[in-house]
Amino acid sequence: MDDELVELQKQFESAQQAKSSIRLSDRNVVELVQKLHELHIIDFDLLHTVSGKEYITPDQLRHEILVEVKRLGRISLIDLADAIGVDLYHVEKQAQHVVSDDPGLMLIQGEIISQSYWDSVAEEINERLQECSQVALAELAAQLHVSSEMVTSVLEPRLGTTVKGRLEAGQLYTPAYVARVTAMVRGAARAITVPTNLSVLWSSLQQLLQEMEGASGVAVEGSFFQSLFNGLVKEGEILGSLRAGVHWTPNVFAIAQKESIDSFFSQNSFISYDVLQKLRIPQPDQFLQSRYPECIPLVTTFIHPSMIEMLDAAIEDALEHGSWMDSLSILPMSFGSQDASKLLSLCPSIQQGLKSDKAIIFGESFVFSSAFIKDVYDRLEKEMETFIVSSTSGTMVSDDLQETKVGHETSRFTESNETVSDSSSNKQTMEKGSKKKKGRVAGNMGAGAADGDPENQDSVPTKSKKNQRKGKNSSSAQVADSKASAKLVKSKEENLNIPSEDWMMNKIATLVPEFEEQGLDDPQTIIRPLANYVRPMLINSWKERRKALFTENAERMKHLLDNLQKKLDESFLNMQLYEKALDLFEDDPSTSVILHRHLLRTTATTIVDMLLLNLDMHNKLKNGVEVEDTQISESSSLNPGERTSIAKNFPGSLSKKALVVVEALEGKRVETFMTALRDIAEESGLLLKKLDKKLERTLLHSYQKDLASQVSAEMDPVSVLAEVVSLLYVQIHHKALQAPGRAIAVAVSRLKDKLDESAFKILTEYQTATVTLLALISAASGDEEDCTSDRILSKRELLENQMPALKGLVLRTGTSQS
Amino acid sequence: MEGWDPNTKSTLTQIPLLTTKAGPRDGPAWTQRLKEEYKSLIAYTQMNKSNDNDWFRISAANPEGTRWTGKCWYVHNLLKYEFDLQFDIPVTYPATAPELELPQLDGKTQKMYRGGKICLTVHFKPLWAKNCPRFGIAHALCLGLAPWLAAEIPILVDSGMVKHKDDAATSAES
Repeated sequence: MDDELVELQKQFESAQQAKSSIRLSDRNVVELVQKLHELHIIDFDLLHTVSGKEYITPDQLRHEILVEVKRLGRISLIDLADAIGVDLYHVEKQAQHVVSDDPGLMLIQGEIISQSYWDSVAEEINERLQECSQVALAELAAQLHVSSEMVTSVLEPRLGTTVKGRLEAGQLYTPAYVARVTAMVRGAARAITVPTNLSVLWSSLQQLLQEMEGASGVAVEGSFFQSLFNGLVKEGEILGSLRAGVHWTPNVFAIAQKESIDSFFSQNSFISYDVLQKLRIPQPDQFLQSRYPECIPLVTTFIHPSMIEMLDAAIEDALEHGSWMDSLSILPMSFGSQDASKLLSLCPSIQQGLKSDKAIIFGESFVFSSAFIKDVYDRLEKEMETFIVSSTSGTMVSDDLQETKVGHETSRFTESNETVSDSSSNKQTMEKGSKKKKGRVAGNMGAGAADGDPENQDSVPTKSKKNQRKGKNSSSAQVADSKASAKLVKSKEENLNIPSEDWMMNKIATLVPEFEEQGLDDPQTIIRPLANYVRPMLINSWKERRKALFTENAERMKHLLDNLQKKLDESFLNMQLYEKALDLFEDDPSTSVILHRHLLRTTATTIVDMLLLNLDMHNKLKNGVEVEDTQISESSSLNPGERTSIAKNFPGSLSKKALVVVEALEGKRVETFMTALRDIAEESGLLLKKLDKKLERTLLHSYQKDLASQVSAEMDPVSVLAEVVSLLYVQIHHKALQAPGRAIAVAVSRLKDKLDESAFKILTEYQTATVTLLALISAASGDEEDCTSDRILSKRELLENQMPALKGLVLRTGTSQS
Repeated sequence: MEGWDPNTKSTLTQIPLLTTKAGPRDGPAWTQRLKEEYKSLIAYTQMNKSNDNDWFRISAANPEGTRWTGKCWYVHNLLKYEFDLQFDIPVTYPATAPELELPQLDGKTQKMYRGGKICLTVHFKPLWAKNCPRFGIAHALCLGLAPWLAAEIPILVDSGMVKHKDDAATSAES
């Protein structure tokens, strides 16, 4: 057998006998470890890796964490978990242990950071800081992915050692930079001479810095400046005071301020608050009071007591001399009227004067002695009289005055003190109304419907004025007057003859020219209060006088109305009588028109004139105007224009009625006139007697008698014809005919049937002769002594010869009939 | 090489291949062959041992080395089932693979010829033919018996055909 083969057999044998190695599966191992745990052979927590293939003890884990942190300096737990291959939960847990055990480590936002890491970071920061001279913490924080507070807390202990710089408001600065900015702040602060808001300064400095550093410059916070500034103030490098942290008042300014105030005050012994405000002292009065406790604060200024002494002396002087003064004129320009009034109240002489009624203060700054006011009052009172006379007489003198009054009319309503005068004038009106009523009742005038009517009273002064004027018969100025009076009416409507404030002011201005001479900007300011003061007294005295006048006028009014009634009765009866005669000619229109017109022109006109004039007068009296002449001549006649103007000046409804009457006067029908006349009589409270039979007869009789006596006494051949014809009509028709010359012919022809032949013939002949005579006279030219005058003379002789026959005709029949 | 599990395949590739093509009747050539057989068997055994996968013991029953006897075993449910193993080297060896016999299991399973010769998979014969003469006894054991045991023993144990020797003893006693 082969040796080699034997050898191999042996080897194979031994190989088969060799003990086989023993292998354990993972599962078996896990079971084994569990078994060990159960048996407490392993008595600590055993961790396993993420792969599940390895067990790891916590100590090992901590060790690995430490190693990792030392290697990197800063590592997040998540990265750590990945690197070590252990679950994050365990890593976190052990990391906390690690950090708490080692003071050089910190756990921030899931990151473990070692102190050495911060050291290196600080060095980096320092490098950068030295390069840029300033670094923002926020920028660093963003770079390092930590909060800026963290960066601050880390940097603070290293400032001055690792990091050579200064931390200010989230910025890091190098000392050189800080020194530079400090120099800027110091320079700016020292340059300021007036109080300044520091934030404004900082913003300008910021701008400056930015310009210097260009776009790379980091914005410097105002608080940085502020802290530097505060340091400088503390060190005494800049002087001044800081209020509310931002208001900087340099010492230079405060000193200058005080000096200027002191010098001004000592020189002028007053200082206006405005001046102080210009010097930037916010509460001048308090400031001054604390500085000069003995001095007196006014509304806009602050004064030394010496000012009062000066003013007092001046006022005392003015009071003693019975004069007046404007305290403003003595005081410096800057004093306001309020100051003046306050100052006045402090003057001892004024206080005394006010107590003893020796002084009166007007318009805050004007001092008047009572003697002066008395003087003005007396003079004004005199002026009042002339004013009333001038205004009532309606002369042109008062016209310009009224003009001004009318001009002031509009502005007057805005015056505050106007209310006072208004109310007083209203009172006046009421009083007057009652007075008038009394007067009327006393005068037995039956108290017309319009009595006490405010409307009525308004126009009272005008009416009376008109009447007065008419009485004077100043026809030359009538047109102008009526205009002026119209104006007057307007101005008077408000205050009823009471002198207006503006009038008084005008008067005072003219009476006391010093007001103007003083060169006051607006004399009104002083004159108005003076006028207001004097006016009530004036009005009172005026009222007294008016009262007296009223009682006087009442008597006269009564008399006047009685007269008027009497006259009116008479003439109205006559009028009615004549009106009846017109009936005879109703069938002849042309003649009728002539007759109507004639009647209106003659009898009606006189009635109307008398009525108008008397009513006007009555109104005037009622208004209490003094009327000098009560004699209204009967003969006075008015032209249509005057009538209408008078009628227009009557109050309200009376005026309307009067206008109707005046219009009717211009018409052609007597009937319309009669109704109008009745209306106006009723309106004005007069009675119109109706014509009754008995009265008619007696009137007619007396008329006939009158005519007969006239005829017998008549020497004029022309007028005798008319009288004869009228008498014939009375005798034959028992009607009183008033015929104008043109109607005579018709009237004569109408008598044809009623007279015997001879008588009629005489009448017609006489009539034709008269007509030719009149024709001749009218044809004759004055200077020529030709035949016409001869013929007139012969005609006249002829008529005169025939006159007795004519007269006999009437007188005979008249006697025979009667 | 399909049909075998990856473990078997990897093991197979690690068994040293043979070079001499000689049968039992070839004299010195057969001796040479036998030497190579031994070498490969040693390597295989060592390999099994190192993998804690030792599963058989064999030795040549005659000096010529044409008859081999020994034991083989299989661990199932932590119990070791051990069987006798014997086989002859055929005259046409190595062209023909040796027929492995488990006489104790004769008649107990269908995957067996008369006399306890195990039935091999259909893949065995072509593979063997293809690798003649490089495959030897070690290869035959690895490719033939090991998979057969792994497949058949659990079925035999579960069906109660094979009983553990301890159980058999207890049952015999009872």
